[in-house]
Amino acid sequence: MKRKLMALLLTGAMTATMFAGCGNSDEPAPADDNKETPAPASTEDNQAEEPAESEEPAEVEEQTLKVAAFAGGYGEDMWNEVAAAFEASHPGVTVEMTASSQLEDIIRPQMQAGDYPDVVHLATGREAALTETLTREKGLLPLTDVLEMTVPGEDVKVKDKIIPGFLDTLGTNPYNDGVTYYAPMFYSPCGLFYNAGLFAEKGWDVPTTWDDMWALGDKAKEEGIALFTYPTTGYFDAFTFALLSSAGGSDFYNKCMTYEDGIWESEEATKVFELVGKLASYTESSTVANANGDGFTKNQQLILDNKAIFCPNGTWLPGEMADAGRADGFEWGFMAVPAVNAGEKGVSFTFFEQMWIPAEAQNQDMAKEWVAYMYSDEAAAIFAKANAIQPIAGMSDSLEGDNKLFYSVYDNGATAVMGGFATTDPVEGVSMADSLFATVDSVVSGDTTVADWQASVEETSDKLREAMPE
Amino acid sequence: MKKGKARSVFIGVCVLPAVILFFIFMIIPTLNVFRMSLYKWGGISNNKEFVGLSNFKTLMGDTNFLRSFQNTVLLIVIVTIVTMALSLIFAAIISREKIKGENFYRIIFYIPNILSVVVISAIFSAIYDPNQGLLNSILGIFRGDKDPILWLGDKNIVVYSLIIAMIWQAIGYYMVMYMASMASVPESLYESADLEGAGKVQQFFSITLPLIWTNIRTTLSFFVISSINLSFQFVKVLTRGGPNGASDVFLSYMYDQAYTNSSYGYGMAIGVIVFLFSFGLSAIINVATKREPLEF
Repeated sequence: MKRKLMALLLTGAMTATMFAGCGNSDEPAPADDNKETPAPASTEDNQAEEPAESEEPAEVEEQTLKVAAFAGGYGEDMWNEVAAAFEASHPGVTVEMTASSQLEDIIRPQMQAGDYPDVVHLATGREAALTETLTREKGLLPLTDVLEMTVPGEDVKVKDKIIPGFLDTLGTNPYNDGVTYYAPMFYSPCGLFYNAGLFAEKGWDVPTTWDDMWALGDKAKEEGIALFTYPTTGYFDAFTFALLSSAGGSDFYNKCMTYEDGIWESEEATKVFELVGKLASYTESSTVANANGDGFTKNQQLILDNKAIFCPNGTWLPGEMADAGRADGFEWGFMAVPAVNAGEKGVSFTFFEQMWIPAEAQNQDMAKEWVAYMYSDEAAAIFAKANAIQPIAGMSDSLEGDNKLFYSVYDNGATAVMGGFATTDPVEGVSMADSLFATVDSVVSGDTTVADWQASVEETSDKLREAMPE
Repeated sequence: MKKGKARSVFIGVCVLPAVILFFIFMIIPTLNVFRMSLYKWGGISNNKEFVGLSNFKTLMGDTNFLRSFQNTVLLIVIVTIVTMALSLIFAAIISREKIKGENFYRIIFYIPNILSVVVISAIFSAIYDPNQGLLNSILGIFRGDKDPILWLGDKNIVVYSLIIAMIWQAIGYYMVMYMASMASVPESLYESADLEGAGKVQQFFSITLPLIWTNIRTTLSFFVISSINLSFQFVKVLTRGGPNGASDVFLSYMYDQAYTNSSYGYGMAIGVIVFLFSFGLSAIINVATKREPLEF
């Protein structure tokens, strides 16, 4: 085990140094054809405008910017390409890019040794919880002035480019104090995925209310198809957040997220708990056994095999299951979560990844410049090629295929919900994710009643409220 | 006299590198675990707050920790007893009996040991699959079309599912260790036992077992340590502690607290308990199994 860890670390270090090499050598593999400095023809326009608009002095100062980026489903190439483009538009700056899907394993030991990256792209909600830990330790730099900065190479302020609503939530202001610490990056609507082909084949209508949902569940049961499955209970975050917001509106939702006393025992919250409790009885029977790191794709496979109808997930699902076998006539369908109260619009939680600057970063000014640059059309276009969509107005218009369907969910009337739980000081042994989400497994298997579940969530909320920062 | 001193210096210089390395990589980190368990700390920044034994006090009232403690103890006890019994039996059969394909069995039993835990977990994940899994398919012959058994989804079964995988993985390793020491037991003892009319079973308990006793004692400590360590890897890959924490063990809960819940100090407090527990348990086992060594 130790040897494996060692090997992993060494590989990580090698990868990191390789990227560092890429950053300043003349041959960054994927990026050289359009963004390389010595090729005057293609970069002339950029080069000519840049120095005039940004307030770079003519005498460039050599500096290094250390960027650490999580490279998951979207891949590493786009990060290297963006780094090359940033270097091209910022003479004298060398970007040391560390992009990895195991980013925490690489940067955590470095950070513990006091060697911090200047800017980090790493979402909350991951198992290693590095972003949350640093937030809880108050180790982030406020990004208020970044929002006021002009996007490099353009004449728009950063905050004016970001889609309205993305900066007002706990997803960017983790302490609920109105100060932005996370820059919203690639976003993805979450909702319920299904096989549109199955509905066509059976002549069913896609349900828009929970009453229709239950009716469909009974009908499908007779044909041996379950109404619902879920990959792991972790996916209940987006799903539950959407339900909560739908049950009580955005004020109520924020009270839940900031642990207001008694909020989880309110009438609105009760509706949500009971709804999930009822959904549990419609859940495919083997779901719990596969709701873990190794088996979650088997649960997702249930949708492809027409064994279950709906599965809560995000837009990365079709990519994740691209190579999996599927029923004849399968076609991805995606819809918002039906409203909890009759007659209201459906809801969809917007998941987004975050970029932040550690308070210990050495090169904070250039880090801010980098964050601002992320919202430039140039950077956004590079990301969009890898299907990573920035929350920039108009970005989703150019999408094609399945992605167009997914991102149009808000255009079709669904209410957007954003932001998760407020950050508290760590409370030993107490976690909202365990109380609120992991318990769903026990509710589905019948080991815990909905009432007990609700009571334990309120208890957890009480403990976390005491740990809220002043 | 002078020669003796030079010799001591030489020995000292020779062992010094090892001592220094041992000190830096074993002693200091261990002491650090003890020290960090007294702090409230997220694990990254320098914001540490000394809280004394408060982490341990919280631990004692943490039902999730107590559950992981129970699971670990259950794992250690059952895995040790079953693995030891099976590997002793297999070792005795393979080394004492003339069976065809002796080496073949030796290899077959040892193979799980060279597979990584991730591979073994993937194999067992396929075996335990509720719908297409090997286990449920075979049981289906006897049970008929009743609801499938959720090997990894039922909180009362999941720990035993882990235990089965761990036993399967460990048998070969211990079997080879027992075989090695059985090979050194002189053949003449068995011959005279044969002449005096002792059966195979009696020979096993009266000759084999007492003569490999030192070896068995050593493996008992291995069992304690490897059960604690390996259970973490199995849990991480196979169940992630699910369903709803029912299969959490010491180290998976420690990881959960130290990283996911940003309570590094609390995680270290769990580490201290694990350290003391495994140390204490090994010591107790060592004392309890002490026998006068037999010469042969």
